[in-house]
Amino acid sequence: MDDIHHSEPELTPDEAAELEQELAGFAEEEARDLGLERKQYTENVQQEFWADQVAHTTILVSGLSLAHDHLVTAALAGIGYKVKTLEVPDVESLQYGKEFGNRGQCSPTYFTVGNLVKTLVHMRDVQGMSTQEIIEGHIFLTAGGCGPCRFGMYVTEYRKALRDSGFDGFRVLTFQMAGGIQQATGQELGLKIDPNFAWHVVRSLIAGDVLNLMAYRMRPYEVVEGSTNAAIEECKAVLYDSFSKRKHASVALYKCRRILKKVKIDRTRPKPLVSLIGEFWAMTTEGDGNYHMQAFLEEEGAEVDIQGITNWLLFMIWEAGYDTEQRQVLREDDVARKGLDGKNATKKLYSLKAGYWAVRGIFQAYANILGLHAYELPDMKHIAELASKHYSNDVRGGEGHMEVGKLIHFVEDKVNHMTVSVKPFGCMPSSGVSDGVQSKILSKWPEAIFVPIETTGDQQVNAHSRVQMMLFKAKQRAREEFDKALAETGLSEDEYRARVKSSRRFRNPFLRPAHKVAGIAANLVYAVG
Amino acid sequence: MALPSKIAVGIDIGSTTVKAVVCNPETHEILWQDYKRHETRQPEMVLEFLVRIGKAFPDAEDVRCYLTGSGSAPITKAVGGKFVQEVNAVTLSVEKLHPDVGSVVELGGQDAKIIIFREQERDDGTREKTAITSMNDKCASGTGATIDKCMLKVGMEQEEVGNLVFDPTKLHHVAAKCGVFAETDIVNLIKSGIPSTEIMNSLADAIVHQNLSVLTRGNTLKHKVLLLGGPNCYLPFLVECWRMRIPETWDSRGYDYPKDVPIQELILTPENAQYYAAFGAVIYGLSDVTDNPNEARFYGIDSLKDYIENGRSARLGDSAAGPLVASQEELDSFLEEYTLPTFHAATFEEGQVVRGVIGLDGGSTSSKAVLVDHETGEVLYKAYTLSKGNPIKDTKDILREIRGYVRSFGAELECTGFGATGYAAQVLEESVRADVNIVETVAHMMSAVRYVPDADVVCDIGGQDIKVLFLRENKGGGRDVRDFRLSNQCSAGNGMLLQAMADQFGVPLQDYAQTAFDASLAPKFSYGCAVFLDADRVNFQKEGFSSTEMLAGLAQVLPKNVWQYVVQVPRLAEFGRVFVLQGGTQRNLAAVKAQVDYIRARVPNAKIVVHPHTGEAGAIGAAMETRRVVRRNGSSTFIGLEQAINLQYETVNDESTVCHFCPNHCSRTFIDTTTPDGRKSRYISGFSCEKGTVESKDALKELTRERAITRKQFPNVVEEEGELAFKHFYEPAPMPLAGAKKDDIEVRKLSFRRVARKAFQRGFKRSNVDLSKVKVGIPRVLNMYSTAPFFRTYFEALGMPKQNVVFSSPSTEEMWVEGGRYGSIDPCFPSKVIQAHIHELLFHFHPDKRKRKGPLDYIFFPCITHVPSFLSNTMDTASCPIVAGSPNVTKAAFTKETDFFERAGIEYLDPALTFTEPNLLKRVMFETWGERLGITEDESDHAIEQAHAALEAFDQRIQARGRDILKLVKRENRIAILMIGRPYHLDPGLHHGIPDEFQVRGYPVLSVRSLPRDPETLRETFGEDVDGLDICDVWPENYSANSAQKVWAAKFAARHPNLAILDLSSFKCGHDAPTYGIIDGIVKTAKVPYSALHDIDANKPGGSILIRVKTFIHKLSLVEEELADRALAKVELAKRVAKEREAIKARILARRTQAAEEPVSVPAK
Repeated sequence: MDDIHHSEPELTPDEAAELEQELAGFAEEEARDLGLERKQYTENVQQEFWADQVAHTTILVSGLSLAHDHLVTAALAGIGYKVKTLEVPDVESLQYGKEFGNRGQCSPTYFTVGNLVKTLVHMRDVQGMSTQEIIEGHIFLTAGGCGPCRFGMYVTEYRKALRDSGFDGFRVLTFQMAGGIQQATGQELGLKIDPNFAWHVVRSLIAGDVLNLMAYRMRPYEVVEGSTNAAIEECKAVLYDSFSKRKHASVALYKCRRILKKVKIDRTRPKPLVSLIGEFWAMTTEGDGNYHMQAFLEEEGAEVDIQGITNWLLFMIWEAGYDTEQRQVLREDDVARKGLDGKNATKKLYSLKAGYWAVRGIFQAYANILGLHAYELPDMKHIAELASKHYSNDVRGGEGHMEVGKLIHFVEDKVNHMTVSVKPFGCMPSSGVSDGVQSKILSKWPEAIFVPIETTGDQQVNAHSRVQMMLFKAKQRAREEFDKALAETGLSEDEYRARVKSSRRFRNPFLRPAHKVAGIAANLVYAVG
Repeated sequence: MALPSKIAVGIDIGSTTVKAVVCNPETHEILWQDYKRHETRQPEMVLEFLVRIGKAFPDAEDVRCYLTGSGSAPITKAVGGKFVQEVNAVTLSVEKLHPDVGSVVELGGQDAKIIIFREQERDDGTREKTAITSMNDKCASGTGATIDKCMLKVGMEQEEVGNLVFDPTKLHHVAAKCGVFAETDIVNLIKSGIPSTEIMNSLADAIVHQNLSVLTRGNTLKHKVLLLGGPNCYLPFLVECWRMRIPETWDSRGYDYPKDVPIQELILTPENAQYYAAFGAVIYGLSDVTDNPNEARFYGIDSLKDYIENGRSARLGDSAAGPLVASQEELDSFLEEYTLPTFHAATFEEGQVVRGVIGLDGGSTSSKAVLVDHETGEVLYKAYTLSKGNPIKDTKDILREIRGYVRSFGAELECTGFGATGYAAQVLEESVRADVNIVETVAHMMSAVRYVPDADVVCDIGGQDIKVLFLRENKGGGRDVRDFRLSNQCSAGNGMLLQAMADQFGVPLQDYAQTAFDASLAPKFSYGCAVFLDADRVNFQKEGFSSTEMLAGLAQVLPKNVWQYVVQVPRLAEFGRVFVLQGGTQRNLAAVKAQVDYIRARVPNAKIVVHPHTGEAGAIGAAMETRRVVRRNGSSTFIGLEQAINLQYETVNDESTVCHFCPNHCSRTFIDTTTPDGRKSRYISGFSCEKGTVESKDALKELTRERAITRKQFPNVVEEEGELAFKHFYEPAPMPLAGAKKDDIEVRKLSFRRVARKAFQRGFKRSNVDLSKVKVGIPRVLNMYSTAPFFRTYFEALGMPKQNVVFSSPSTEEMWVEGGRYGSIDPCFPSKVIQAHIHELLFHFHPDKRKRKGPLDYIFFPCITHVPSFLSNTMDTASCPIVAGSPNVTKAAFTKETDFFERAGIEYLDPALTFTEPNLLKRVMFETWGERLGITEDESDHAIEQAHAALEAFDQRIQARGRDILKLVKRENRIAILMIGRPYHLDPGLHHGIPDEFQVRGYPVLSVRSLPRDPETLRETFGEDVDGLDICDVWPENYSANSAQKVWAAKFAARHPNLAILDLSSFKCGHDAPTYGIIDGIVKTAKVPYSALHDIDANKPGGSILIRVKTFIHKLSLVEEELADRALAKVELAKRVAKEREAIKARILARRTQAAEEPVSVPAK
């Protein structure tokens, strides 16, 4: 053997390389055969949406209030996309979410993720579309996050649920909360987040806000039940037409004003003013996701003060500005998400300022036309300062310090009679931090009526019962305030009603009497007196 | 006296009773009152009350009706009354009847409420009384119901409980956070032989503590305290417990209460308290401002009658699910397939000697045993007994029954072996020297494959637990456990719930199925925890579902609980097609039908078999294993049937059995047994660490010595890292001298939001301040476990002596019980426990008389928004929002009523810090400490640099440990356990000693940080061309630093054959939730041995942990076999490759020769 071995000729470098290559393939195959190879998991991430797919792709949108979803749909249609709005997530969506989602998620995750799965299953099983048709012909566009709460990791959850429900590869795109869309760049993008896109979407969101605010102001005082909702539906149709055909918004808004003006309003009965704050989705949705909280409060005799998406936009702008200002004066720039290394801080601050005033400006313009008078958008800097002693402005996630700041503002400035804060069960920023800090706020301002409600989707009776419990006190407050106003102005209730009835100004559905106390009826007394 | 023409009726419809009062609307005087149990027929009972009231007040024309209570909503509409929220009603009643009361604690069947009254001055100078009210969240519901269930479990009669005296000296751990947790603990106490009275006292104490710590939302109850609700009325020992614990919180918080007033007057239960809600409803209703003159006017009883007859079912259509069976044919064919043949016990001849082994399953609520033929393995007899409170007594009884059965034929039983499984197995192994003590899961597997040899999935549903086992073929051609899922505490209690529900509706358990099959629709229960299901039941009852429908709905939710909640895999088919259903619950055919339908819908070709001895599957498994062991060994260790039946035992649980080997002072139970022939043995239970297993100091010494050997042989890096993080191990470099050269940058703010920077050089500035007397306290919590070396070194580098940086102790149950009463919210335990750490710093370390730890000048607990991360290419390195915000929450909790920091003369500092922006970190640390300590910015910056270096050194040290262990296990072909969790899971009070369970069983334990990340290891593990520290291939949304590192560790394990994963998550962890699916994908694809505990909380579920550990270890033994196979396969691969190398070379050479020999061809033109 040895002799043979020694006499064997050597391989040339080329031949040796050939040997090694062939041997590697063999070794791999044998290793597999012997069970030595381990397969590894990778996540199928599909986020590609190119310009040439736009024409045959339907964008599914959902996640905000009814009016917002409707108007965003119109805005996207206006700039050339095929769009479909999903229904408001309901308990069935929650059940789909729980079946296909991870355990331990928050209810907005289950509701929204389940709602998409529910819709796709319906397309497949009822409408008879093939899975491939659904996956190739649709994308889902939603608000995403940037951490650090579960909301920031929604896309992971969407992927899991879609994979497990048989729609692996279905594309989910998110407007990243702070800056454009999460998508690979390179080819011409299907969704171009350019100023034109932003203008149309932001405009529709603000219009949705103004319309919602009008509805919540008018409905509790309508003389004919249902008249506000009918008028709002008419307005939504007018605005949809305008946004989807890219007409001038102010024309449509004037038209809406005329429609709303016809609703008869009687503001002479004292009603408690209840602010609804909390986690963004839970306070925005208008369905099972927050136990129909807005409608419930109205049914129970309250006027609801909702938080618009405009506030959210302003909050995000404030955050970016605050972070930049904090870091601009450091001796060296840090390399991190919020660090300023390689960024022009001055330019960033100016563009944020411009954005801030643009959002406020559009809002104010729309509000003026539509009849939303004397509505003040929150001053984010003021809210942050109010909260900062109790809730650090640097601790983020969800609404951050906003809930705490808002509550202090509500109490100090006598904005409302009661505050309901809705949040998902186990919501990290809201029930895990805000509510803990709120206990201190309540001990400092014991007059505040504050009800935190954790929603799971299936405990409506208990949640309503708790709200009802506190609403009693709020009603008493509103009544006392009203009686006091009458006493101070020297009017009897009948006199007051008669005066309102006889005055066109006081009957005006858009009238918001000057703020003196929280209640509208009491403020009207002061205005009349 | 003339009967009034105007009356106001208040009706309180609770979960068990209806209470009503009739009042004079003008004077609020109570004219009539009564209460009755409604037996779930609320509308009928209300009707009966209204008829009686009508008869009692025939002249009443103006009747106003106010309803309150959990069951009142639908009835209110039917009678035309007004609904009044319960807490409002009680509040008003108390305000009216007891104007001097400061707070109210009301415990109901499901709900607990606390009302604290507070007076405040208004703007106009008047005083207003407001009430702060809080109710338990859905996770903690079921207080009264839990007490009732536990009373049944410990076997005490109502009267006996009524006479019980609260004795605080003999208390045991019971988790009262949730009814299911409490039940689990109670069962364990019963099994350990603790007297019933002590168990009930422990439960009372736990309930009181839970309410004082959570339900008060951190507020202090004000005197006088009124105790309301059923349990407070009928359980004097509970009231005594309140009277002891409430003043304790008053004293600890410095609350001023009259010490000269007897406690009975400060904390009291009023008479007739059951009517407070009903009476309050009237007061509320009459005082509520409204414009409607007809409000609450009673319609008369006709509409209620109509509602009872027609209204209910009509309203239910939408919310209901379909029936369990659609047609009689479907039912018939199902029954034909699944009705189990009746078991006929074997019969014997007179004088026959029956040779058999006995297997016993000491379950949570009952014990089951089987007698199995020694030769054939056939089941001869089955015995069952409900637990009577002591495992030895139960065993004796059941053995006596078996012997009696055999003797009834005149035959004699020769017990050839005895084996046990379940809760009782441990004590039996010791006392009767059982041949076998196997973990339940393995017993169930063995039993299932005996009857269904090709089983792929075994689903066992017992009284408390759900166990799902996934099987695969083993080497011998049989089956073994490939993977398993066990219910955690939050999904436990299903079988028990079906039984309890049937009991509640008065349906005998054997009639459950037929009753449920009769329902034409069913309410949709939301799956998950038994407490949630019970809350749903109350809801559905309110909505008007009948008991039949409720039973059907509950059967339908069972498979969802099993497959969606416990197993969590939507694609059932991937586990195989042969399913075995076993466990006592499968005797209920309604449950089987629901399971069969659920599985068939997802696995169309499934073969679903119900185990022929479904309730005794565990006992049969134990018997089979015993038979195998005895046959193999040729003899049995069992003390014998007669000896066992006549075993004497004594249970001692008093001061003499308390373990004093550590400050925990565990209250242990000794069970001493003596066989008739005098052999004694002692079984000890109730300890929380292994020190509790010994009795003398010498024995402890021996144990410590053995432990040291084990530690060396099987290192536990989780423990080492958790300790090192808080120790002084790094010597910071000395502070530069004043004037030493230093580079600096000058920053100037310019107009138009611009900033200019200019570099220059200057001398180092020194303050020469003396910090040797300054002390800083830091809670040992959350991300401190990954950043503490940074903070310790920062202070040390500034000149603080190392003993002046004081960390609180690792979490313990005692610490939590003592200090966990400040919080106003109920988040995850890791963040809740902070208050106990701050409490320790404030009340133990600060006033430390020996001045070793106190007095403290500062408590430093920064909001760490971003933590250091070793991964690359991540979206962010954020902390969890709760973790980041907890310092703010803690500040609120400790300053809201009394400023505890101010009172102690300590400053509490909670600045927001980020570890990803070093320059910002420097600035914030200087802003925080500069003026306070009198240091210069240069000194602070120097300390920061040293702090970073210490953190790096910490990391390197831990990695080096990991590297050594990995080398060792690789060399020796062994398995190491990799514990993946968040940094705080290094805290022994949070991981509940689970890693130690593996260490003592011979497995080294690694932490996430200890996985080596040097380029060589990364290349070896992840391959040449990839960035081993990038996890975007599995999780692109990796914002959370600790979650991302956890996912990375799973990836590492998936590429290292010697690692098995132990995955810990805390209950309510929102940051871990999105990673469950990803980690599942990683471990499944690479087939990593994996065990998870996803809902760990404050209480230590000892039994549940042990089952998991034992099952996992059983599985690891198989993995180790595979490792050995793998080593052989590698040798084989090397051989094959060498051979192939020669072959290829020969081929190449042959080709060369052939080419040389062939004539050169000339291409044709």
